[in-house]
Amino acid sequence: MKLCMRMNFVVVGLLLISGIGCGKKEKQITICFSFQDLETEFWVGAHKAITEELMMRGIRVIERNSSQDANRQLEQVRDAIAQQVDGLIIIPQDGQSANTIIGEANRAGIPIAVFNRPPADSSRNAIVVLADNKLIAEKAVDYMVEKAAASGRRYRPCIIVGDLGDPNSIARRDGFYAALAKRPQLFKPVVEVPSKWDAGTTLANFEAAMQANPDIDFVFTSSDFLYPQLRSVLEPLGKWTSDADPRHVILGGIDGDSFACRMMRERIIDATGVQDLFFEARSLMDELLRAIDNGEKQPKKWIVDPGFALTLDNYAERAVDMWGCVLLHRGLISQ
Amino acid sequence: MNDLSATTSLMHGIQQLLRRNFVLTLTVGYFIVMSALLPAFASSRNLANLSSNFWPLLSLVIGQLLVMIVGGIDLSQSSIMALASVCGASLMCQSADPVVFAKAPLWNIIFSEQGGIFAGSVFAVPAAVAVMLTVGILVGFFNGFAVAYLKMPPFIVTLVSMMFFSGAAIYLTASENITHLPTSFTALAQKRVLLPIPVWIVAASAIVVHIILQHTAFGKKLYAVGLNAKAALISGINVPMVTLTAFTLSGFFAALGSVIYSARLEGGRPTLGQDLLLDVIGAAVIGGISLFGGRGGVRDAFAGALFFTLLANSLNLMNLSFFIVNIVKGGVILLAAAADAWRVGKSGGMSKR
Repeated sequence: MKLCMRMNFVVVGLLLISGIGCGKKEKQITICFSFQDLETEFWVGAHKAITEELMMRGIRVIERNSSQDANRQLEQVRDAIAQQVDGLIIIPQDGQSANTIIGEANRAGIPIAVFNRPPADSSRNAIVVLADNKLIAEKAVDYMVEKAAASGRRYRPCIIVGDLGDPNSIARRDGFYAALAKRPQLFKPVVEVPSKWDAGTTLANFEAAMQANPDIDFVFTSSDFLYPQLRSVLEPLGKWTSDADPRHVILGGIDGDSFACRMMRERIIDATGVQDLFFEARSLMDELLRAIDNGEKQPKKWIVDPGFALTLDNYAERAVDMWGCVLLHRGLISQ
Repeated sequence: MNDLSATTSLMHGIQQLLRRNFVLTLTVGYFIVMSALLPAFASSRNLANLSSNFWPLLSLVIGQLLVMIVGGIDLSQSSIMALASVCGASLMCQSADPVVFAKAPLWNIIFSEQGGIFAGSVFAVPAAVAVMLTVGILVGFFNGFAVAYLKMPPFIVTLVSMMFFSGAAIYLTASENITHLPTSFTALAQKRVLLPIPVWIVAASAIVVHIILQHTAFGKKLYAVGLNAKAALISGINVPMVTLTAFTLSGFFAALGSVIYSARLEGGRPTLGQDLLLDVIGAAVIGGISLFGGRGGVRDAFAGALFFTLLANSLNLMNLSFFIVNIVKGGVILLAAAADAWRVGKSGGMSKR
């Protein structure tokens, strides 16, 4: 009996001590990072920038890959909410599914940050970090237009359009047309090639466009990850050449990946609009952590990355600011 | 001696019960173990998640059950979901962006900047839901006709249907999601009438199918066709009609699932359910519905869908990577399929068709 009582005291004592210990220990922040996939270098770069930033700050990360399925992403985020995570970061499948997921987070009172793909309904409460896609595209195409003007001839422009369900894609197309509108006399009617953000679709459609319009000599791609498909079509036609070659097609894009970096080094690509991934990841994290610290359950803020255009003229100075070149130079992407 | 015989009889009874409800017992056991291991597993929020994930999946599994009983398989369920989703959404949406949809074939015919042709009507949601279900029934009928009357293999018919109708869904909306659906539609997945609305819809359907399978002549005919189609034909069963009905009902249940999934995602999606097919067939096989036909019931569909939902949810809560989750799910389905093949082999081999 005595032994039993003594044991009870010991157990109660241990519990109290462990309780005091727990009280003193600072609670580790847990954030669920849900992304649509890691198919392109841009998303790999974004994933890397965000997870490195989280780990650097000692945050526990629960990663969820939805494999491009909006329904699966919703279920995964709900499961994370059930685990009572402190915050959510999502790269949504599209603007519409972002709305649904933000609604879930708002109802659960968990602060949520959306990376690079704005929700279709901007009235929802979320921290949204995105690039000014229109402005960045316009900056890159401005340079291409000036280059066209310098040659003194008329060009047949072509734009590889992304998925028009994605607001980024629409903004990029708007930026392209805004730049062309500054010197309309330089251009013949534009050829639009739908890509749906898909490499196979791009290859097939661009091939068809080049057959129908062999005079295309000014191409802007709404994402750098589609350059290999452009090369597959232009190279056999002898048009994948440096800007010193008279057959050169004026080429530009947006994102700032390592392929664009390499091709600019060889002077095949003339300009690319660059998002500052590291700035975006850092500011997203700052805002989310501030909201968690302040106990804000539905923070709302839009952070815009103004980006810049890396061109053949400023490549030497600004390449170090482009994430694709940084990954390349760090040896994280093969040369 | 009497006590001994009573105990033996009780043990035998428990054994029988466990054998008949093996997957359900396993599911309950799994739930108890996971609740002990994962603190969030039995939380009220997670139980709500489980419910939200389970009921639409069950709808699809019930459809698959009917086809599997007659010895078929329906690979087109995901495309039926996608097609029904965009058809219903385009009819009832309250507005649409011309920049996004200008090139869609349905633009300015079924929907425009002012929304779908049903927009603003009090009947918008019921009419759109009716169209969604009709789409499912029609595609199911097409599949059933090809299998039953043209004697085409279910695998190839539904595989082609999957490609064709998925493509049609993407074509009709130029691959865009249709949003701005009426709140009375999205409420189908979000609101409760004591229980969440999907529970009422799917549970009622499940009970009806259970009654049909267990207590009607048509139910017996489904099993007879699945066990041995030739014998069923000789016995006077209209085998093609039974097969046609099974596929048509599968289409209906896929469309019913589409209603719930579209409501909870607040949009019509041409890619809806693209990754769901393995979950549906996996849940059916885990539940004990035979891939060789003639075996399975609503209870099995319920148990399989429940186990599969619990499994997927618990793997998420364990914070395993996407790849590991898929490997584990695939492994479990493979085990269940192997168990089915072993069971069929043990009971005398596949039925003669």
